[in-house]
Amino acid sequence: MKLATIGVGNAGSKIIDRMIEFEQSTGRDLCRHALVINTARTDLAKPQHVPENRRVLIGETHKKAKGHGVGGDAAVGAEVAKTDIDEIRRIFDDVEIHEVDAILVAAGLGGGTGSGAAPVVIEELQKMYDEPVYGLGMLPGKYEGGRPALNAARSLQSFVNKVDNFIAFDNDAWRSRGQTIEEGYDEMNKELATRIVTLLAAGEVDESEVGENAMDSSDIMRTLDVGGVSSIGYASTGVDTPDDGLLSRLNDSEQAELESADAAKIKGLVRRAVNSRLTIPCDVSSADRALIVFAGPPSSISRKGVESAREWLESEADTVDVLAGDDPRSNSETLAAAVLLTNVTETPRIDEIQDQAVDAQDTIQQQDAVREEEIESLITDDNNDLDPIV
Amino acid sequence: MKLALFGVGNAGTRLLDQLIHAEDETGRNFTDGHVLAFNTAPAAFEAATAIPDDRQVLIGDTHPEVSHELVSFDPDGDDTTVDPETPTDADSAGVDGDPNLGATVASDELPEIRRSLDLVDDTEVDAAVVIAGLGGGTGAGVSSVLLEELGSIYEIPIYVLGVLPAASESDRRALTAARAVRTLVPLADAVLPVDNEAWRRNADPLEEQYETINETIATRFVSLFAAGEADPTSVSEMRIDPADVRRTFGVGGLASIGYATVELDTEDRGFLYRLKRLLGLVDEEPSGPTDAATVKQLVGRALGSKLTLPCAVTSADRVLLILSGPPSAISRKGFETGRYLLEDETGTVEILAGDEPLPRADTITATVLLSNVTDVPRLSTIQERAVDALSTFDDESPATGSTDKTGFEFRTDSDDSTDTADSNAAVDDDTTGDNPSDGETMSTDPTATETRESETTETTTSETTETTANETTETTGAVDVYGAATGDTGTNEDSTDAATDEDGTDTAANEDSTNAAANGETDVDDATDTDEPATTEPETADTGDAADADDEQLIPDAETTDS
Repeated sequence: MKLATIGVGNAGSKIIDRMIEFEQSTGRDLCRHALVINTARTDLAKPQHVPENRRVLIGETHKKAKGHGVGGDAAVGAEVAKTDIDEIRRIFDDVEIHEVDAILVAAGLGGGTGSGAAPVVIEELQKMYDEPVYGLGMLPGKYEGGRPALNAARSLQSFVNKVDNFIAFDNDAWRSRGQTIEEGYDEMNKELATRIVTLLAAGEVDESEVGENAMDSSDIMRTLDVGGVSSIGYASTGVDTPDDGLLSRLNDSEQAELESADAAKIKGLVRRAVNSRLTIPCDVSSADRALIVFAGPPSSISRKGVESAREWLESEADTVDVLAGDDPRSNSETLAAAVLLTNVTETPRIDEIQDQAVDAQDTIQQQDAVREEEIESLITDDNNDLDPIV
Repeated sequence: MKLALFGVGNAGTRLLDQLIHAEDETGRNFTDGHVLAFNTAPAAFEAATAIPDDRQVLIGDTHPEVSHELVSFDPDGDDTTVDPETPTDADSAGVDGDPNLGATVASDELPEIRRSLDLVDDTEVDAAVVIAGLGGGTGAGVSSVLLEELGSIYEIPIYVLGVLPAASESDRRALTAARAVRTLVPLADAVLPVDNEAWRRNADPLEEQYETINETIATRFVSLFAAGEADPTSVSEMRIDPADVRRTFGVGGLASIGYATVELDTEDRGFLYRLKRLLGLVDEEPSGPTDAATVKQLVGRALGSKLTLPCAVTSADRVLLILSGPPSAISRKGFETGRYLLEDETGTVEILAGDEPLPRADTITATVLLSNVTDVPRLSTIQERAVDALSTFDDESPATGSTDKTGFEFRTDSDDSTDTADSNAAVDDDTTGDNPSDGETMSTDPTATETRESETTETTTSETTETTANETTETTGAVDVYGAATGDTGTNEDSTDAATDEDGTDTAANEDSTNAAANGETDVDDATDTDEPATTEPETADTGDAADADDEQLIPDAETTDS
């Protein structure tokens, strides 16, 4: 698939940056266009793989943003995106839209810019183009607190309504101990980038080398067609390649095992992909459609294994709409299986976020209701004997 | 974020000076020279070493009421003396501690103030901060006018860093501070009070502790506002943007800062960390400086630390957390659990958190901003002192303008009457107060009593004022006035004594009521709240209304932000 990608906000920009980094390091060519949009000038400096002229600062003239972010306020995020929509549209003029199959908009849903501005951008893109617009959204973890949960719960509604499909990533499922702030987010972004790119880049390698059962963009798009929320599973295993020398020889027993990438192994890989961490944990049987991409050296992909894996997923996901195909990568040292489950409806984390959001909204409303009164009573003495100086 | 700083009065000038020093020391360049100091007496400028001469603005030196006596510079704290009129009082030079005079002088000199404001480019800063001692005549008076002026010309938010007088400072300063809070909160986008009482370390004279107090305050102020300014190009994972600070302050009211630091054992960490890395144990090893528990504890300590304004953290409206330190040492899990801890402890969901990468630092610092805290016992204490002081100054203080004098009396009367109107509750609550002499020993009690009363009086007051004013006047109000004048009615004595328990005398309280009687307002005693602004104190009434309007404006703004 060929994509035009847009990262909105800090988290969205970083994931786009990581996706480009991953595709470049693996010789893939997925992101034909990359654009990052932010309300904070300092955050725009972070992406290393997005050219300067593809980084857009919005809200510079907005009185609450001024190029310094929106303070986690989704309403302000949406407002500045609306105000500066012409600027966004103008920079999109450069995009040769006929060269891409779809547009992917990535954003963190807990912050203000991603949750607020991204839906506005998506709405505009849907008006401008016929190509499908997909969303990639990072959901805040429980410990990020009530306000991010509220932003996310509200933004999720806008996203799912406006995009053709929403791929969700749950920060909580990917937390791990011992990381610094820097490492933590970076590792998560790398994991997500690996999954997204492995899945969506299928078929975009060397045109000459079309696998016998190659995955096509239209297959992926067909699977995404159902809309709703989607989750991605992923597993990989090392394989021996002809050019591979020293490293694989160090490990003879493992090598022998890998050489016989038989049916059971392929099926096992898919099982692992589905049963390990999905980008958003969900009940697999609630999926509407499913798709498996096997990315690796063609020799390592057993036809029989692919078929039995497909059948297994068919029964797991309880749907007959399961596609499986190859993404041949001759030079790859790994065989990876990326599983896309679309329109999953049983996602406990989204329910939790919604509950947390409702509580947060109650708290916020209660605070709003008494704020003025409380300040007034705080600064005046009990009987209002003291008068102001001016 | 970049700030324009305005130091007003002696305390404001000193604190501004300290902040500029802190800016130099920490390498966090957050003012870019956008500073101004205003004073009515030149003395404070002499002590300022970091404020450039052309940024020192002396106002009121030609005003007839401004004292030109060369009083040796006495930092405005050592007025432990109860008598506010002694010439050694802090602001004896300049406006003589009189906020009304301070405000008058500032209004008269607005052209001069405006000229000096031209030196500051508000488009290059993210916010303006007015720094003042709220107990001083210049600090409270001039900054009130300055704040009005800034509010009308600036689009950026305007905050106040205001020093509250300690208990040892004079009643008059408490009165000025209480009125300043009343004035500045509606005018400013947020007020950050610093409680001298909480920050004085020992019984030594306060002025000897100014430097340490100011240093402590400057550290907190800089950690909050100047986060990221040490190296603006540094890439922070979750940067605190000016918009975050702004949003946190966006609810207005009073704000408070907590602060805590933990030392990193750098050598140890370096070795262990490398070793663990080599062994692939980094992820599993729960101990060490990157330990989540350390960071969480640090956040908890900051919240539990001595706050710039002591308050109940559960009353905070919004919270901001900044973790400053080497990026390699701040645990992500600690960061998240620390943030969650804040939500848990404060009960608000409006929490913004970010990090400030300081790669060479050997400490991690947690700075917590609590905005719109509403449970502030210290402020209630100051207000009570102020109310008590009102009656004392009514007759004695030449500094208090005549209009204000009457204003105070009427308000004091309405106080008495509402107490009486609410006499049952008052008596029930205040069982020890039946004997007037007990009032003297109750110096700490009124806090509780007044607070309890306020629950009932708040409603009673408004009702009384708006609807049942006349009825009440005819029944309890009349009795009240007589009672106050003759000192016969137990309940009434109780309330007046309580109101003057610290240094007021029965005589003062009675005089107060007698004055009210002399002013011919006795028969409509309870209605004073409604009558007074219209008839005797149009100026105060007008500004009072304006302040309310401001308040109302501020809140819908905050609501828009939320929606």
